Order: sequence, then C-alpha cells, then structure tokens
Amino acid sequence: MKEHLKTRRLRIAGIAVFCCIATLTKAQDAKGELEGKTFYDTRIVNGQSVETNNEGVMKFIIAHRFGPVNGGGYELYGLDQSTIRLGFDYGISDNVSIGIGRSSNEKTGDVFFKARLLRQRTNGGTPISLTWFSGIAARGLKFVDDGRENKFEHRLAYTHQVLIARKWNERLSTQLMPSFLHRNLVLDTSQKNDIISIGAAARYVASKRFTFSLEYYHALPDMLSDPFENSLALGIDWETKGHVFQFHFGNSLGMTEKFFIGENTGSWADGDVRFGFNITRDFKIKGRKSR
Amino acid sequence: MKYSLAFITLVMSSLLIGSVGDVFEVEKKAVLVDVSISDMLFSLGEPKPAHYIDSVSLEMIQRGNELIHFGRTIAPNGKNTKHISKFYKCISCHNTVKEDPNLAEVNPERRLDYAREMDIPFLQGSTFYGIVNRETWYNDDYVVKYGGLVEKAKNSLEESIQLCAEVCSQGRTLKQWEIESILAYFWTLDLKKSDLNWTAEDEKKMTNTSDDERLLHIKKKFLAKSPATFGELPESKSEGYKGLEGNPVNGKIIYELGCQHCHREKGESDVVLDDSKATLNWLKRNITANGDLSIYEIIRKGTYAAEGHKEYMPHYTLEKMSDQQIEDLRSYIESAI
Repeated sequence: MKEHLKTRRLRIAGIAVFCCIATLTKAQDAKGELEGKTFYDTRIVNGQSVETNNEGVMKFIIAHRFGPVNGGGYELYGLDQSTIRLGFDYGISDNVSIGIGRSSNEKTGDVFFKARLLRQRTNGGTPISLTWFSGIAARGLKFVDDGRENKFEHRLAYTHQVLIARKWNERLSTQLMPSFLHRNLVLDTSQKNDIISIGAAARYVASKRFTFSLEYYHALPDMLSDPFENSLALGIDWETKGHVFQFHFGNSLGMTEKFFIGENTGSWADGDVRFGFNITRDFKIKGRKSR
Repeated sequence: MKYSLAFITLVMSSLLIGSVGDVFEVEKKAVLVDVSISDMLFSLGEPKPAHYIDSVSLEMIQRGNELIHFGRTIAPNGKNTKHISKFYKCISCHNTVKEDPNLAEVNPERRLDYAREMDIPFLQGSTFYGIVNRETWYNDDYVVKYGGLVEKAKNSLEESIQLCAEVCSQGRTLKQWEIESILAYFWTLDLKKSDLNWTAEDEKKMTNTSDDERLLHIKKKFLAKSPATFGELPESKSEGYKGLEGNPVNGKIIYELGCQHCHREKGESDVVLDDSKATLNWLKRNITANGDLSIYEIIRKGTYAAEGHKEYMPHYTLEKMSDQQIEDLRSYIESAI
C-alpha cells in the first residue's frame, strides 16, 4: 500500500475545488427557467449522471451484466453468466441523494453521496448542471494473501467525481466526468493506488420514451497498467410510467466506479463486450416540501 | 485517505445545509377587508352551517394554510406533522383563489379566459375560495359513481376534507385539530361582496325588501354547489367530438395552465409534458390510442391508484373542461409540431 504526498495534495486540491464550486453555487443568480432533465435517470450506463432523486423518492435499481459475447453460442453469448448489483438511492432533498448497493462482483458493497450544485437554466441563466459525487466501495471477498496483515481499510476504494453536463437542445445532452479513484490496496506494485480519469457521456432523445446513450471513461496516461482497459458502453433507455429500463453493451463487468474506472478487463477490440441492463423503479417514501 | 470522504461529506453538509433544511416558510396573505357574504347571510337569519367555527385563532389559520399549501404543519405540540400525502398537496388539484368571473354560473370557457387573465391554474378540483359558502361538496355524478364512498362527504365539509385526504390524495387520516385548522383557513376564503359582481341594481334590491328576499337575492349571486357531470369519449377518437373545431390558442393555455401544472419537472406526475417536439409528437401519436395515453381517455376517465403506484390522475368533469376545450388542446398538440 502506498501513501504519497502527491495523493494528499490531490485530496486537498479536490476539497478546495469543491469548496469553490459550492461557494459559486450559493452565489449564482436565478436567471432563466430551470432546464428540463439532462438525462432520463441518475445513471447513464454504469456511471452516475448529473440527475438526483426527487426529495422523498427511493429508487430501487436492479442491474445485470452478463458474460462476454465472444463466449459464443456455448455460453449463449454471455447470457449464461450474470453479475448483479442491487441498489437503493434516496433523495434527501431534490438536490441531495444518498445510496447503497451490493454487487456480486467481488462481493462488493458500496455507498455514495451525491449533491447537485448547479442546475442548468434557460434564457441566459446557468449554462451547465454540475453535481458532486463521492462514493466508497468495499470489497467483500476473503483475503487470500495470508502473509500480510489484512485490515478492513484494505478493502476500501474511494471515488470522487465532478459531473458537468449540458443539455444542448431538446434532443442532445452531454456530460464530462473528471474522476479521482483511490484504492487502499492494489493487486501488485505495478498498479497505482490513485487513478485520475476523464469520463465523457452523451444522450440523444429519439422519442418521448427512447433515448440512446454513450459513456466512456479514459484514464490519464500511465494510470492503468495491464490488463486493465478504459470503459466504453452504448445503450438505449426506455422510460415507462414509474420505471426506466436501460439496455446496453459495454466492456465493463463492474457496476461501481472502482471497477469500470480502474479495474475493467474487457476489450472491445477482442470482442470482450457484454450485454447488460439496469431497471429502476421509483417509490415515494415521504412527501416533499414543495409541490 | 480513509477519512477523506467523511471530511468532504462534512464540508458538503455544512455548505448544503440551506438546501437540506430549508425553513418551512408560510405563505402570508393579507386578509382582504371586504364584506363577508356569510356575515351578510347570518345577519339576515341564515343558520350557521355545521362547518362554522366559533373560535378561530391566527395559529389555526396559519396551520390550515400550511396544511393546504405544504401538506404539513407544526402541530400544537411543536413537532412537524407527517405529510398528509406522499403524492399530492391540496393545491395540486385545487386553487385557493376565485377562479370563475361569474360565481353564479358554470362556464369552463369563461373560466379559462379568467385563468389566463389572472394566471391561475386550470384544474380538476373546485377552488377552495368560497368553499365554506357551499352547501354540498361531492355532487351529481360523483354520488352516482362512488355512492357510499361520498355519501357522508356530500353534505359535510369536514367529511369532504377527510375523504379528500384519505382517498383523493391517497394520504393519511387527518386529526380533528387539523380539520379544524383547515376549516379556519377556509373561512378566510369566504366569499366577499366584491366577488359577486355587485351592482347598483343589487344594492337596490337590498333595500325595502324582507330579510328572506334579501337572503334569496344574495344566494342567487353564487352557486351553492359545484355541479359535476362526467363526460363521455367521442364516438371516434380520430374524428374527435362531432361538430367541434379546435382552437390551438386556447389549447396552448390549457396545456400550460392545466396539464403542465402537474406534468412538469419534479411535479406530481412522473410523465413530464414539456414543450419539446418529442413530447408533443408522442401525445399526437396517442390521441387515438386505447388507454390512458390518449388525451380523450385521460381527461375524461383519468387513471386509478394501483398497488405500488398510488399516484393517479383525476379526470376533468364537463364543468371543469368542456368537450370544446379538449378539441382545443388536441388542436394545439397537432399544430405545435
């Protein structure tokens, strides 16, 4: 496990950036009307979108990622294998959400905190939406290296993201996701504890109920070492009354940031692409302050 | 590193505390100094109704105001009450201001003009303004269709409030002090003489006549009940209501003051009806559909609360939206694309 001065500086810089953003948020004027939804849901494919839950709404998410399609007919093109994540997100207010989930991939549990700091407005108002995301993932697999003193914190990985999105028109929205991932314990010395990655995503509204989405995370040079790859996914969202269905193909098995930013082994070039879906269902748990 | 998230969370919480714990603001309205219609009637010998409250305090009125507008208030014990409903506020379906220019008639066309002029929502429910002046609440086809469910509520404002809380808003049972607070607030919305388009002719009729004649005359100036007639679907959805030509200008107003009141971003409904081509196209495509995606069916029949999805849309009676206005809405949807 490595703990560098550089990491501490990054952390301090991250906190400073966040404080500046939050201060700016407080100071922003309310010119223009609030822009409509930038994305259908709080997830794009694997990663988070700028959207947050409405106050008092609990979102139940069932997500599946299947095996690689290059497994051929014997594996029914990946459908014989399945990884699942079950999650609950809750809107503390219209702009602040918390969430918890459990994934079968490395028996990983995760919690997160998400705050919408800026919301795009029309008519010359705020031009972008901006959301802060912080999450912790805890690996649940038993330790295999008995020669090392294993501590609980060795299981943990942290992610901080600034999600910056703009709805360009009623059909096209884009998002940038500068991300910082820190893992307390990595596989070996060739791996970096800290990974800085820039994500980019887009959605195109095909009709009232259907949108196309794209999500890509690119680690900065020398951040990822073999066998890990950047994550790319393409999907279709289908919105129905109370549910959002997201169907997609991507090269990532993991559904938490730790995996798709830093530990993704699938390669599009090798046909190591998986089918997956997210199904979300909103439940109103309590009333809201305003109508 | 392990403390970084906790630290950031702490910083964020302190910065965002304003948005998390917004002060529960109370809408404070100046009470219009005008002659109360109820006072006029009582002075002429009209008996006080069962929902009359002898002793009203400002606190009761404020609590009632908050229950109506925010769905919750601070109870006499100092604690926040639970929300009446997870899904709706009373003002999701009801205005709290005068919504008809002439209170003696039912005319949805004039009501729409008035809504546009005053910039007030065009809703399914009757306004609370003047609700204490009515004598029955769930009327006509509501009684025919729902029978026993509305039997007690028909002749009791208290029961109507409770029914609205429990059934219409899919919420909880109100406590007696909450009902009394709502009634106290409702009495501030008592009709005033200036609401009745009072003329010199009316004034003349109030002199040199008996109390009974005066009473009768005042009562003619407003409806003692809100009539409710359930409309039918057109015989052919593709042709629409026979003989009616839609007016897209009126349709746009209905879309904005009616549909978008709830079908907005973070609104009561999950289905956001914005002004985008995708939305209008989707509405247009479904005009002739069977089921609640058709504007004819959703407006005339509404939807029902279901297990796991208690939110529903109440229908518009003929008095709240005419067949002509549905054609106007259709015309806007079709012409706006």
